[in-house]
Amino acid sequence: MRVVLKDLVKRFANSDRAAVNKINLVIEAGELAVLLGPSGCGKTTTLRMIAGLEQPDSGRITIAERDITNLAPKDRGLAMVFQNFSMYPTMNVYDNIAFPLHAVKMKRGEIDGAVREMARLVNIDHLLGRSVRQVSGGEAQRVALARAMVRRPQVFLMDEPLSNLDAKLRVQLRTEIKRLHQDTGATFIFVTHDQEEAMTLGDKIIVMKDGDIQQVGSPHEVFFAPRNAFVANFVGTPSMNMLHGTVSRGESGGFRLQLPGFDLSLPERFNRGLENMTGSRVIWGIRPEAIKLMPEPGENCVSGEVELVEALGSRDLIFVRVVEQLFGVIVDALESVAVGDTCHLHFAAGQMRLFDADSERSLLPNSL
Amino acid sequence: MRVPRSERILAYVILIVMAILVLVPVLAGSVTAFKPQIIWVSSPPTWIFEPTLENFEFVFFTRKGWLFLRNSLIISIGSVVMALILGVPAAYAFARFRFRSSKALMQWLISLRMIPPIVVGLPFYAMFLYLERGLGIGLRDTFPGLIITYQTFLLPLVIWMMRGYFAELPAAMEESAMVEGYTRLGALWRVVLPVVWPGIVATAILNFIFAWNEFFLALILAGNRTSTLPMSAGTYIVRTRVEWGNLFSVNLIIMAPIIVLTIILRRQLVKGLTFGILE
Repeated sequence: MRVVLKDLVKRFANSDRAAVNKINLVIEAGELAVLLGPSGCGKTTTLRMIAGLEQPDSGRITIAERDITNLAPKDRGLAMVFQNFSMYPTMNVYDNIAFPLHAVKMKRGEIDGAVREMARLVNIDHLLGRSVRQVSGGEAQRVALARAMVRRPQVFLMDEPLSNLDAKLRVQLRTEIKRLHQDTGATFIFVTHDQEEAMTLGDKIIVMKDGDIQQVGSPHEVFFAPRNAFVANFVGTPSMNMLHGTVSRGESGGFRLQLPGFDLSLPERFNRGLENMTGSRVIWGIRPEAIKLMPEPGENCVSGEVELVEALGSRDLIFVRVVEQLFGVIVDALESVAVGDTCHLHFAAGQMRLFDADSERSLLPNSL
Repeated sequence: MRVPRSERILAYVILIVMAILVLVPVLAGSVTAFKPQIIWVSSPPTWIFEPTLENFEFVFFTRKGWLFLRNSLIISIGSVVMALILGVPAAYAFARFRFRSSKALMQWLISLRMIPPIVVGLPFYAMFLYLERGLGIGLRDTFPGLIITYQTFLLPLVIWMMRGYFAELPAAMEESAMVEGYTRLGALWRVVLPVVWPGIVATAILNFIFAWNEFFLALILAGNRTSTLPMSAGTYIVRTRVEWGNLFSVNLIIMAPIIVLTIILRRQLVKGLTFGILE
């Protein structure tokens, strides 16, 4: 079912800044949408307004064209999985999953069938008779998933359901959520502060900050075509290298960028965005993956000394000091770079980003 | 943590001295409850005698002790039930919702427990008098009258204790149930109350003890029809003499249920009490 948020505003009494600041958002039926942002960005508040657990100060929420803004949570036909709570402690696993069905006064026999089917789907059918004290954290979130699905809702809300799990389990359950999404064909709205989780799960990523939506797009779009410096910096690990610089005219008619200690010629695709920007301050960004180590110095190439090497497995993250800036660079672990080595860094022209220093908006026409 | 031997010995010495100070009068008195009248106040005290139940018989039947016991039970249980019915939902609201001056209200509630009972007792007496004369509503010397009055010290305790229990639970517990098809009250009833049930039991027992032991408000507001056990104990101290054996047998009747309840539920009681303090 299609979920539409229209001019949604939420203020909390103890803060003068709106927690959610007049946001507009369309989530198509069957989509897995991820609300991504740092803590306090309004993503959880947005989700709770969709669930009906918070009442918006203004704006409308519709699900499949039905206005649900003023409906009680129980009448919205949604399911929700929470971060820090997954089971009713006085009931066993079976009764936990059956609980939502008692609300709709389903017959005992039908309940039994539905509970067992859901338990099978998330691989906890052997746990049904267990007390909730005897299940692990990962199993508990599976119970929560089963309980959410048992009413076969068309919209699932998930509020950081994997944040309290250890890394391995998190990856495992992530895959399972993706599979459930495909199997059920329902609309999923998933909240997380973990950009990796957002990238792997989402069909659509909604990046939020300070109650505003920064960008809506596919994982590719938010990664390769960030609309502003915040998105560029927040999405992707290790995060993008960013420097302040000044735009100048080159001799051949192109633009050049003065950065602390060195300068670069900018590729042609920036020409339109930089038309009236000669002399302006901009933020230049390049991802650690877009920097190559060269055997010799050359054009668009700077030299520096390796200060730190972090092993990531097949690749290393090295930090190279160029004048006052430390560049993060991803290199093949087999290149065996060591602290103290001198490196020549080449910046892939196609992957450079430029942002206005004041508005932080991207200076690239919207495209990949 | 390992406590040094010397400190432990010191602790035991202090505890033993305190126990003697507290327990010896109680025990000596309780022994007197079983003495025949002739040796109640013999000097030196008689320690070896044939125990008798004649004092209990006297206070229970001749002096209508059973009636006072009944009154005490009706008033104590009635006021605890009323305090729970009003206080548990109030405590939930205080734990879950922020509303205008909710903090100030909580502090006001705890301040109610600090004032001496006479501050409450006399205004209530005056109010009951006005109600009786002005509107013809008689509350003096009635069970409802006492039960309402007792709310002044029971309700704050219920709200403070239960709020602690509610605040410990994640709000997502009810929220989950609300999304799954229940109203907030439905979620409270089916999900939250079963979890805090031990807390409700501890709260009920503690409140029962307070109501059971209450003396002053009953002295002002109760009368012939509603006299409680503690009040009846007072009747054995008269101007010319103290009927020691009878007095202590009433005392034993008063203490017995409290001691039994405390022993059975001492763990929950300690937990319930510290909740209120730590909050």
